[in-house]
Amino acid sequence: MPCINYKKDEQYLVNKFRNPVFDPSTGMSNNELRDKMKEVAENFINQGLSRPEVKAACFKYICENMQIDVDPHDFFPMFGTWIKPLRPIGPLIIIWYDEMWEKQCKDIAEEYFKRNESGISTVLLDFDHSVPDWDVLLELGFPGLRDRAEEYREIHRKNGTLTQKAEDYFNGLKITATALIDTIGRFIDFAQQKYPDDPRIKAEIECLKHLQTGSPRNTYEALQFIYLYFMFGEYIDHFQVRSLGNLDRLLYPYYKRDLAEERFTYEDIRELLTHFLMQWGSINNYWGHPFYLGGTKADGTTEYNELSLIILDVFDKLSIPTPKIQLKIAKNTPHEIFEKACDMIRRGHNSIVFVSEDTIKHIMTHHGYTEEEARTCRISGCYEFGVYGKSNGTGAGNINLLKPIELIFNDGVEPLTGMKISCDALKLSQIKTFDDFLASYFEYIKEALEKIIYYANRTESQLGIINPANIFSLSCENSLETAKDAFFDGSVYCNSGISLTGIASVVDALMAVKKLVFEDKELTLSQFKEILAANWQGHEKLRQRILQSPLKYGNGIYEVDKYADIITSFIADFVHPHKNGRGGTYGVSGHCARSFILHGAKTGATPDGRAAGEEMSKNCSPVMGMDRKGVTAMINSMTTMQATNMPGDFPLDVMMHPATVKGEEGIMAMKALIYTFFAKHGHAIHFNIFDPETLVDAQKNPEKYTGLQIRVCGWNVHFTDLAKSEQDFYIKRAFNIVE
Amino acid sequence: MEKLSAIMLAPKRFAVHDGPGIRTTFFIKGCPLKCLWCHNPESISSAPQIAFIEHKCSNCAECAEVCAANAHIFENGRHIFHHKNCIQCMKCENVCSNKAMKIYGRKISVCEALQIALEDIDFYKESGGGVTLSGGEPLTQSEFTFALLAALKEKSIHTALDTCCFVQQEKLRQSLPLTDIFLVDFKHANPEMHRKLTGQSNEIIKQNLQFLSDNNAKIEIRIPLVPNCNTDNVNIHETGKFLSTLNIETVKLLSYHSMARSKYVSLNMPDTMPITAPPSNEMIAEISDILKSYGLNVKI
Repeated sequence: MPCINYKKDEQYLVNKFRNPVFDPSTGMSNNELRDKMKEVAENFINQGLSRPEVKAACFKYICENMQIDVDPHDFFPMFGTWIKPLRPIGPLIIIWYDEMWEKQCKDIAEEYFKRNESGISTVLLDFDHSVPDWDVLLELGFPGLRDRAEEYREIHRKNGTLTQKAEDYFNGLKITATALIDTIGRFIDFAQQKYPDDPRIKAEIECLKHLQTGSPRNTYEALQFIYLYFMFGEYIDHFQVRSLGNLDRLLYPYYKRDLAEERFTYEDIRELLTHFLMQWGSINNYWGHPFYLGGTKADGTTEYNELSLIILDVFDKLSIPTPKIQLKIAKNTPHEIFEKACDMIRRGHNSIVFVSEDTIKHIMTHHGYTEEEARTCRISGCYEFGVYGKSNGTGAGNINLLKPIELIFNDGVEPLTGMKISCDALKLSQIKTFDDFLASYFEYIKEALEKIIYYANRTESQLGIINPANIFSLSCENSLETAKDAFFDGSVYCNSGISLTGIASVVDALMAVKKLVFEDKELTLSQFKEILAANWQGHEKLRQRILQSPLKYGNGIYEVDKYADIITSFIADFVHPHKNGRGGTYGVSGHCARSFILHGAKTGATPDGRAAGEEMSKNCSPVMGMDRKGVTAMINSMTTMQATNMPGDFPLDVMMHPATVKGEEGIMAMKALIYTFFAKHGHAIHFNIFDPETLVDAQKNPEKYTGLQIRVCGWNVHFTDLAKSEQDFYIKRAFNIVE
Repeated sequence: MEKLSAIMLAPKRFAVHDGPGIRTTFFIKGCPLKCLWCHNPESISSAPQIAFIEHKCSNCAECAEVCAANAHIFENGRHIFHHKNCIQCMKCENVCSNKAMKIYGRKISVCEALQIALEDIDFYKESGGGVTLSGGEPLTQSEFTFALLAALKEKSIHTALDTCCFVQQEKLRQSLPLTDIFLVDFKHANPEMHRKLTGQSNEIIKQNLQFLSDNNAKIEIRIPLVPNCNTDNVNIHETGKFLSTLNIETVKLLSYHSMARSKYVSLNMPDTMPITAPPSNEMIAEISDILKSYGLNVKI
């Protein structure tokens, strides 16, 4: 294996996806392809091709015309379609997306966009959460996937189920798979011509040649296959590949065989993994790219193996924020793995989240999945889980839980857009008790959820014709069996998620209203309305008093925290029986990605002491700085909510000072904390452990802290890449923790 | 018994370095020693104290409005807090929205303390943790301490007593059946030096350590390493020699730091903290090696 020291390759790898340089003679640039795509797509459309065929023809066009490269500093080829926001196939999808708003969804367009603008909720078309069945992919390889699809076409023909629609579907798959395999040929020819004598390129050519004709046989070929599938899927077919898979389990057989047959040494494997992970280190997608480790075998023993530790260690040495790692944790998780991960997090290499196998089982079996489906579940995105190889989950919508408070105070008129919300909520003047207030709150919540579900059903029912998922469908057996698009309705489980933003903020807001208006009678609702409308101007003392109040979610006070459970139970009871537009169901998620900032910006002052435009609470965590009794109380608060009400995910963000978890005791305490959280049915937990002084210094001297990472939600960013206001936010929070 | 109360600082939950596992630590006010480097000066006095944290003050003067003792004076736009005038009515703390006035010490009953402790019982069970009574010196309010320890034992919660051992032996005798582990500070081996550094000789402490050891108590010794005070080779050898005669489970080395200095200022206490850098890693390693050479199980 022609390995050389990674350090010699580092510069190339870091820049690979940031400043690539292509030989123009190899084809068209990313932007040239994108500029040309509309014309190309319209040409195919005018030929009368079906949508899967048009998409596949465009895919083929890109494969044949994109610039390509290989480099002796790398084990993996470079694609000319490297700019994610400007993926070349985008203009085709835009044609169909615009058509949806002109035709199928014309009647809802105005209100749909207005509601998104108002900050009441957001409804989105999500193409970013597909996870293929990596076991099958690696077993079949690219030619095997193409051949399997053709075999299914024949089965449909024999069964009399090969309708025109099914023919179109299979044609799309065939064109796509063939183009993909032919592109591997382009890489080989180019590499042979450009670097005929380079030993590493020779190895790469040999690897690619095999993947052209068969399935991966060794670790290098398996990694190459994963990389290629990812690039073809994410950058050409426009479907985010939302997990690189259960890497340690998937790669272990290859690793063992390579060592036994002396194909690769231990050092070779480390070098390959280093280069492999650096592909995503260089891609540096804001949200990160996940893979997961561990799990439990059918016999109850752990899936972790010696490769798990090697992967963790390679990742540790690279100190990159992405790819990001999800660790499946159970009582059988080896101490060595768990402790290594805790130590990495403590040292700031914290692009790691722990997810509980027991809680996933608890949630999934509650919702009718089998224990086996729970045991083998895939983890995707930030920490979401789903049935492996048989499910496709979308993030369809997000509800702003604070907006209904603002609507109550404004008698249903949304202040930002002037939109009038019609529902059975009482007018402010009619509200006489806290129960009235709460009942009105739920009326607005119900109205918002009804609308989210209606709009998501209407728009998601167009998913399959806006962006046929040819590559993803190749990976999904149920899709082939039913000749239906795997991303739309061809997976066994085609579920949609509705995520919640601001659960802690709303609990704190309700507590302030309850105490000041209905218990202490210090304010009337109309006085409170005036104060909020003035954004607390002239009432700073009251605002401070509210902020200092002990009645805050996150402190283990049942009388407060119970409202988080009441709200999430109400939402779950309402949402979960609904069917989505793809033959599946809806599930509530407890995470909010960046909505806590985006919705916050569109929400006026609220009774919890929050000023207009300020961000809201994140995920299921307390409002920043309101958790005053430490992490154990915070966990007690959060787990007052029922995990089964959030089958999407139920995550907790923890921030700590390094001194809290120093030494051996610190690692043990982190483990015990995580296990206790999981025993209380917490699902996912991740950490930011840093000293405020370090953050202050990093803000002043960014050049000294280029490696300093911050965990934002389910992903990491470099601290020095954050805007000053965001840096200030983390600094303030870190000082709060010290106090 | 449960109505008994003590003046305490705010309890610390998720305490990780005060005995085994995840713990809740209660800091009971009042200490018979006055260690120069004390990093919890607010725990020395047994009475509640009020601190003025100047950098948090916005000069809003609301404190002056509620103060009947003329303790808050505003001169040339600067807030000066006269500790001597303060009658500890605590009204200023209530009105200060910037948290510039901070009270150290509140009365907490056994029942309340137990409730706080029980909130984290799941974490203790998972981690092998429990509750630590610290201070100050928890045996200065011994009736309360015994009552709380007994209540915790009744709930099968692991207990640790963080004591300086400068106490009547009888109090240690009474705490023996209620305490799973004693965390004992050992600051200097030489009686005279001990007196210079802490205000008291170490003879009683040594006798009490001998007593605990003779009674098979589980003991963790904690040595604060304060350069120029107790880190010299002679003292470390003497310390090792003495400790090796006892039945000690572990010896933990704690590095001096001067982060508490601002607390002395805010409490209007004379700052006694030595002006010295924390011990270097090399120094800690060397001290650890010396103590290990006496057969001690040393943890850093």
